[in-house]
Amino acid sequence: MNRGVLLALAGAGLFIAALDAYVVVTLLPAMMGDVGLTIERLEQATPIITGFLAGYVVAMPLLGAYSDARGRIPVYVACLTAFAAGSVITATSGLWTFSGLPWMVAGRFIQGLGGGGLVPLSLALAADLYRDRARTFALGSVAALQEAGSVVGPLYGATLAAAAASLGGWRFVFWLNLPLVVLCGTGVIVAARRAPPPASVETSSVDWLSALLLGLGCGLLVLALYPDDPEHRATNALTIPSAAAAVVVLAGYAWRHVRQLEPLVPRDLLRGRTFAGVVSANLLIGAALIVTLVDVPLLGRLVFNQTQLDSGLLLTQFLIGVPLGALAGGLLAGRAGNLATAAFGLALSAIAFASMAGWQANELTLRAGPFRQADLTLALCGFGFGLVIAPLTAAVLSLTGGQSHGLATSLVVLARTMGMLAGLAALTAFGLYRFHQILGSPALNDPDLRSRVKHLERLVAAAFLQEYREIFLIAVGLCVLAAMVTAFSLAPGRRSGGT
Amino acid sequence: MAQLKTVSATLKMTKGTVSLQGFALVGAKTAVRLPSDSDTTYTVKEQDISFSLEVVITGGHVYVHLPLSTLQEASASEAAVFPDMAKLFDPRTGLPAVIPTGTNPRYVSTDQIGGQSAYQVSTTYSPDQIKSLLAQLNSSGPVAARVWVGVADHQIRKAVLDGPFGDNGKEAAVEVDISGFDAPVVITSPSP
Repeated sequence: MNRGVLLALAGAGLFIAALDAYVVVTLLPAMMGDVGLTIERLEQATPIITGFLAGYVVAMPLLGAYSDARGRIPVYVACLTAFAAGSVITATSGLWTFSGLPWMVAGRFIQGLGGGGLVPLSLALAADLYRDRARTFALGSVAALQEAGSVVGPLYGATLAAAAASLGGWRFVFWLNLPLVVLCGTGVIVAARRAPPPASVETSSVDWLSALLLGLGCGLLVLALYPDDPEHRATNALTIPSAAAAVVVLAGYAWRHVRQLEPLVPRDLLRGRTFAGVVSANLLIGAALIVTLVDVPLLGRLVFNQTQLDSGLLLTQFLIGVPLGALAGGLLAGRAGNLATAAFGLALSAIAFASMAGWQANELTLRAGPFRQADLTLALCGFGFGLVIAPLTAAVLSLTGGQSHGLATSLVVLARTMGMLAGLAALTAFGLYRFHQILGSPALNDPDLRSRVKHLERLVAAAFLQEYREIFLIAVGLCVLAAMVTAFSLAPGRRSGGT
Repeated sequence: MAQLKTVSATLKMTKGTVSLQGFALVGAKTAVRLPSDSDTTYTVKEQDISFSLEVVITGGHVYVHLPLSTLQEASASEAAVFPDMAKLFDPRTGLPAVIPTGTNPRYVSTDQIGGQSAYQVSTTYSPDQIKSLLAQLNSSGPVAARVWVGVADHQIRKAVLDGPFGDNGKEAAVEVDISGFDAPVVITSPSP
């Protein structure tokens, strides 16, 4: 009983942190304005999202081992505290002259560090508290909470900010983290005193070099893809050296990480095609998933002229589709197999993206019976992504013993988050460059300023629509590529890895 | 300030709403070359989306630059809507003339502003005095002000105005930081 309460509270903390990964998507215009950024400098706002993801991926592989040495609960509470501190920094952005964009990005990075650390800690806690089949269920529940939080985030942010418009709007979303963190942290501490002690605690130390390599690699990757002058070029003058350095540093991290993991995870698993394929597929899926999570709400704001709340609500059908797909994926994978289920899911998402690539400015007025066509398409897209979760996770879990489930699942989540980080950075660079190419420098000859602004808004909306259509086409390619990688790695006779 | 050739200023709304062509003013940055040239970038907001609006006044013409588009000359009626920032520093009608005429000026403190010592003085201005600074500012009552004047050079380095000069006579407050006295300024040249 007590261990269930402990894991539920730890999972709640993880869920709160995961919510904040993309909570800013629907709040971005308001947050930008409050730190002095105007909408035409959208590229400068990218670090508000990538900052969190960078912190997330740095902390995720680091703190599991650290908690082996220092104990799960103290490290978990420290991560929650870091997340709360990052939330306060973010919430106070723009209130003083010194708290501009760098302050906000720093807050988001610290939030990400704290939130990212909660992923392996919650998984490790689940592994500590449960055995055998109960352990797999516990690990799956924790992973599901992390996924659900990150996917629901944009809608959560928009709804909360709208409801709390008089209490600071977007700032309230971050202030609210404080009482929630206190509740979860206190609950975890109290529940941990009553729960049975972990089965075994190993002595381990923090691999600071790995953390440094991963952080540096992510930073270089984001720098390589940063569009400093999107009117004239897609990336920046340092793209090639930064990308080359990122590859070298991340390869160094991977080499070091694999060497360290070998004693924990069977050597064959890390070298096998199935594991490598699932990780690669998740990288691609992460990049495609971010297209929906980030671009659909922005499309709502900038093209469909929706309010902050409505742009978040636009994602509702996608969010409903994901868990339904995940449920169906679990059932279908048992009958049709992992490969067929995953490929079917990716095909559905690809079809949905292909449909979105043809969206018009009046898309939200088009109906199919009682439903908006756009809602059905987004539901299909989410359902497809949901279908993929169970078969890919099952494929990895089937390769490992129970003692490695947490680690393996954590690596899969890490791969998907890395895919989101790289995908967001790359698609922002491409998208803004294409936006400026499509828009050009229009001459506005309307009689008054108000009319000119309205005219410009229409031109900007048309350019954004064209840009997003192209990004949706890229997402089709990512889904197809992910399906091919999945087929290659899960095909009968190609499965490999230790058990 | 009476002998100034160039000056820069930033303006930040800290309370209430002042609208510019129907858009809520968030702040502004201006570079002025006296007697009549200025390049001002206003940050304005519509709903929660902020965008910039550049207004260049040079050679008797007013040009407006909306983001992502080309600089275009404003018609006479449209030009009248935008504050002439050079007039703000006009020695006869702008800050140099109006600041010393405040009611009940009172020394408050000596502060550091931009690395320089400055006297902080509190005073009050009438709606007419405010309007003479910028014709677009309509106040429905007296405006309280705090002004920082450089100890060494007597330049006005900062001003905070608080009073009913917002939309529909509502309370508003604005903070103006002044710097770059006789430093080089860039006034965007419109394309021929």
